[in-house]
Amino acid sequence: MLMILLELNQLKLYYTTIRGVVRAVDNVDLNVEAGEAVGLVGESGCGKTSMANAIIKMLPNNVALYEGRIILDGLNIVDLPEDEVRRKVRWRQISIVFQGAMNVLNPVIKVGHQVAEPLIIHGEMDRDEAYKIAREKMKLVGLHEEVFNRYPHELSGGMKQRVVIAMALVMNPKIVILDEPTSALDVSIQAQIMNLLKKLKRELNISMIFITHDIALASDISDKIAVMYAGQIVEIGSAEQVLISPKHPYTQKLLKATPKLTGEEKPEFIPGTPPDLVNPPSGCRFHPRCPYVMDICREREPRRFEPEKGQKTMCWLYGGET
Amino acid sequence: MSTRFKEAFQEFWRLNVSKIGVVFLTVLVILSIYVVVSYPLDFGVRYWNNPLYWADYPKSAPPSWVNYFSNEKIPEHYTFSSIKPSNTLLTESGIRLIYLFKLDFQADKTPTFLSLTVKNVTYYDKPVIIRLNVTRPDGKNIELYRYTVPAPYVDESPPYKRFYDQSKRISLTGDLSVASILARFLSREYNVTIKPSEVNSIGQHKIIFSIPKGDTQFTVLKGDYTFYIIVDTYDSRDSVGEVKLVVGGDVYGFMGTDSLGRDLSVGLLFGFPIALFIGIVTSTITTLLGAGLGIMGGYIGGKLDEVIQRTADFVNNIPLLPLLIFLAFILGQNLWIIVFLLVVFGWPTLTIIVRSMVLQLKSGQFIEAAIAIGAPRWWIMFRHIFPQVAPFIFAQLIFFTPTFILLEAALSFLGLGDPTMPTWGQILEYGFRSGGIYVGLWWWIIPPGLLIIWTAITFVLIALGMEPVVNPRLRRMK
Repeated sequence: MLMILLELNQLKLYYTTIRGVVRAVDNVDLNVEAGEAVGLVGESGCGKTSMANAIIKMLPNNVALYEGRIILDGLNIVDLPEDEVRRKVRWRQISIVFQGAMNVLNPVIKVGHQVAEPLIIHGEMDRDEAYKIAREKMKLVGLHEEVFNRYPHELSGGMKQRVVIAMALVMNPKIVILDEPTSALDVSIQAQIMNLLKKLKRELNISMIFITHDIALASDISDKIAVMYAGQIVEIGSAEQVLISPKHPYTQKLLKATPKLTGEEKPEFIPGTPPDLVNPPSGCRFHPRCPYVMDICREREPRRFEPEKGQKTMCWLYGGET
Repeated sequence: MSTRFKEAFQEFWRLNVSKIGVVFLTVLVILSIYVVVSYPLDFGVRYWNNPLYWADYPKSAPPSWVNYFSNEKIPEHYTFSSIKPSNTLLTESGIRLIYLFKLDFQADKTPTFLSLTVKNVTYYDKPVIIRLNVTRPDGKNIELYRYTVPAPYVDESPPYKRFYDQSKRISLTGDLSVASILARFLSREYNVTIKPSEVNSIGQHKIIFSIPKGDTQFTVLKGDYTFYIIVDTYDSRDSVGEVKLVVGGDVYGFMGTDSLGRDLSVGLLFGFPIALFIGIVTSTITTLLGAGLGIMGGYIGGKLDEVIQRTADFVNNIPLLPLLIFLAFILGQNLWIIVFLLVVFGWPTLTIIVRSMVLQLKSGQFIEAAIAIGAPRWWIMFRHIFPQVAPFIFAQLIFFTPTFILLEAALSFLGLGDPTMPTWGQILEYGFRSGGIYVGLWWWIIPPGLLIIWTAITFVLIALGMEPVVNPRLRRMK
């Protein structure tokens, strides 16, 4: 069970903008094990989607720095030429469900064909076989057979999201990155999709990287939760550890900001504003907003401490003596 | 895909303009096919621009149906030809072949010319003698002409063949021997003294077809004329291939003739396939090129895009017509060169528009998704971007067609058309150049102009019908 499928090591992805270099992903370490769902939680603009793009090497034109290691099957995706990433990695090993399924589908092509397209592009089989597999996958995600010959505008949001998930599964990848798969859907459809994802995880035993800004949603499916803040993973641990005994002050604040169904407790808010990634705060990036701020926090970036086994956090509170 | 096409077609067919456009187009295509099948490919060189071929046609003659609208009956054009004599007579010196042509002449004007043509004459002994006699309605007989086939050359041996390559055309109008015969005939029969040179200036054909009234006036003599072409041979093997007598009229055919005597209906018909060819071929190539460059530039971007766009800006902004004139002058006047020039200057507009559409499309998430799937660039351009701009491109294809037909007509009108084949623009141009328009030869100027407009309108109508298919917003409004 403890087989590491994907290993991110000191991954960096910087962008150039007119204002300067944006450190969207900064020294990220993350392991994804087989059959494991990793929830990646963080506020808007903290680098979650950038990280997803970095993993499959879908880089925009203005990349300033892209380094570190993304080890998959002994290959480092960071160093792999684009053509090989296209042929060996994308969809074959790692597929992605993009944010906003509404816009991911080409409006003038039948959805069935779009689901089958990866198979046809990668030249594995002829069209009929590809269609057959596409139909199977669409059935697997709970779509009626007749949806195959429809155009995207003829489908509802939830159906579109299912199509996009079927598309991600069509080549039986080992890892699926789900980038906010439910954020454009209303709550009841969101629940349906979450149930579908849980079912798929159980039945197909695939690994997932579940990106969301909703920590409650992440807790629903994830075995492991990584909390991202200003381009860094500030806390990572098993879902129970992170949810029940959060160590990093940001995680604690985040959990307290989640409204509860029961109890009189009012949700708290995190003071201050999200940091500017062009010019991040010195030392710990959370220190301007942190209630427990110490001198060291302002000066030195915290290392990764492991206050509990399997739960790592970047906070000086657990650094002890130094 | 097929249901989409079917829906699009239904949408297209719903409008009346589309139906009219399709009917027009069908007519155009049928006429073009007819011409391509029935005309020789070197029609332009062999017939149209060969004045000899049109020698026996009336010059600047209006269509024959103008007779229905005028009080004065204009003479029709009569061509008699025969390959077999109607009569043979045995004389002491040999065989006499007689060709007999009867003409019931009822017009209010005399014919415009008279000519005799012989072809493929063979003789063995003495040169064959050909005579032309006419018996008029008043019973008077005139021996109009006598012609001896050229004698053998020094080292020629029988059979002597004459007029095989080129038939012998004798124009009686303008022939001085005929003039003196007619002068003698007038003084003998009517006591009218007139010099042969005066006969020549009045016109031999006029004298033959009229009676003198006073010294210089002539009135048309209506009735039955009989022309005899008498060939005296001196050997039983002598033969004449064909004799032809043309009584030139002043109206011709359905569309009339131009100042060279060319039958305009023939030339105008030949213009159909050429107009369609230029319109469709040029617009197809232009559209493919323009759309291809637009999609590539827009999607791939970078240096390639920059080069394409700056070239497009450049080509788009230099004045087209002077340059076309200049280049057609330098490169020569050939149909393919004209098509090439039209393509070279036609693509930029489409490229610029398609590129801007692609720029918008390419930022769409489904393109990002396609990249993530691992689709190569060409796949994305073909499968994801092209289908989205295809309706627009298709509409442009149809809209371009009349543009190029008009441009070719304009070039031809400026005298830069392909001289080896007649186009409507060229017929118009010749009409202007030779002064046809100032003399009022309307049958020469109006039809080619109307045909150009009609062809252009055909495609415009189809393009209008395409509009709701291309622009779904219009569809919903209806």
